[in-house]
This record gives sequence, structure tokens and C-alpha cells, in this order.
Amino acid sequence: MGEIVGSAESVTVMDMEASLEHLSRGTVRHVDALLVVAEPYYRALETAGRTVPLARGLGIERIYAIANKLRSAEDEKAVMDYCRNHNLEVIAAIPFDEDVATADRMGCAVIDYDASARLVTEVGRLADTLRSMVSGNGLVDKEPLPGEATGRC
Amino acid sequence: MKIAISGKGGSGKTTISATLARMFARQGHPVLAIDGDPNPNLGVALGLNAGQLARLQPIPRDVAKREQDPDGKFRLVITKSVEEITDNHAVTGPDGVRVLMGSRVDHPGAG
Repeated sequence: MGEIVGSAESVTVMDMEASLEHLSRGTVRHVDALLVVAEPYYRALETAGRTVPLARGLGIERIYAIANKLRSAEDEKAVMDYCRNHNLEVIAAIPFDEDVATADRMGCAVIDYDASARLVTEVGRLADTLRSMVSGNGLVDKEPLPGEATGRC
Repeated sequence: MKIAISGKGGSGKTTISATLARMFARQGHPVLAIDGDPNPNLGVALGLNAGQLARLQPIPRDVAKREQDPDGKFRLVITKSVEEITDNHAVTGPDGVRVLMGSRVDHPGAG
């Protein structure tokens, strides 16, 4: 088990600032994928849309949208339509989840507040998708580690 | 694998970044999470406890220096290895996720 975990590919997740304007080519040169989070309203979509040509200009090849806080089929359609028109693939669609706000109020991670929250389920699916898309099939199947209780939530 | 996540403030990018980091860790990957937001709250979203949050400090400025490109543009160049930065400044949180808080440099007017 230890050996299998030891051979697993390491993952870096970067929470970027909203704007990519200040980034240099060097900063993001080694990024395998940029995920742009988009909410289903106009200004958020416009912000996401502006990021894409900028990111392409910086040399990032894999750019995907994550549709977030979807409250209805109309919300989902709004993001899908916008992304289709801007040649941007939607890699995950995450429904609005009240658990996120509740966990935030309590100052804890959503995954610790409720590991079965819809957001957690969808992000888990996203992790699987990224593993298969970005890493190819070189990864060893690993036994999932048991979740660790933090005792805060 | 290196994944960057951007989005408008309030879009949920920090929640998604943190959850993605925790999920990869639970799948057995060694995970490094980097908070590159000038208003940093990735640590809380990852579920760091009070002690861990107190230890999570911005990477000192001396890990990067300004250099001028041939075309006159300034950019930041890392002067230490990623391993050295991580060993000295990362805080280990739930599921073994290691967290770094980006250096507060080069952002006049931010925050």
C-alpha cells in the first residue's frame, strides 16, 4: 500500500487570483490545465470569457470551464451556451449547494462538513476526469485513503 | 499534474480548489495546494485548524527576485528550488495536503 501511494503522481492545485493579467508566460508554462470557474450570470461569464484568450496567449493548451452554482436547467444552459460560443469545453457542472455556505459559516471545509455534499461528489468526478485527461493512463490504480476527521465539523 | 483554477471573486474557485486538492489526496496522490489569491482563504477552505492556519504564512519575498526581460518587462524569477520552498514554508493539513501561501509581492493596489 505504502509503495503504491509512493508511486502516485503528485498533484499541484493552484488557486489563482481572479485576473490573469499580471501572469507571465513563465509562471504558468508548466500548468497542465487551467480550470475557469463560471457562474451562470452575465458578468461572471464575461470574466471567464476574457480569461480564455489571455490564458491561450500564455501558452496554456488545456483550458476548461467549470459551471458552478447552477440552480436550474436554465442556469446550466446559460453557461453551456456561452462556453460553446466561446469555444470552451465545460469539464464539470456543479449544482448550487447550500452545504457550501453552511460549511463556510462554520469555518470548515465542505468535505469535512459533509463528505457526501453534491459539490464534493461533482469535484470527485472532476478529479477522475482530470486524471484520465491530463495524465493519460500511466497511473497505478490506488486504494483510496480513508478520510481523516478533523474534529472541527 | 499541475492544475490552476481561476474565476471571478465569489465564483467558488477556492472551495473547488480546496475540495479538488482533498479529493486527489484521498485518491492517494501527494498534493501541494498553492494559494495564489491576494485575499488568501484557501487554508480555511482546506479545513486547516487554528494552529495550522497560524503557521501558514506568505512565502518570504526573498524566494523571488525581479528581473528585467530583454524587452524591458519586469518579471519575478524564483531563486530557490520548489522543494526548498515547500520544505520550509508548506503547512500540512487534512488528508496530508500540503499548503503554500503565495508571496505577497508584485501586486500594487491589491487587497
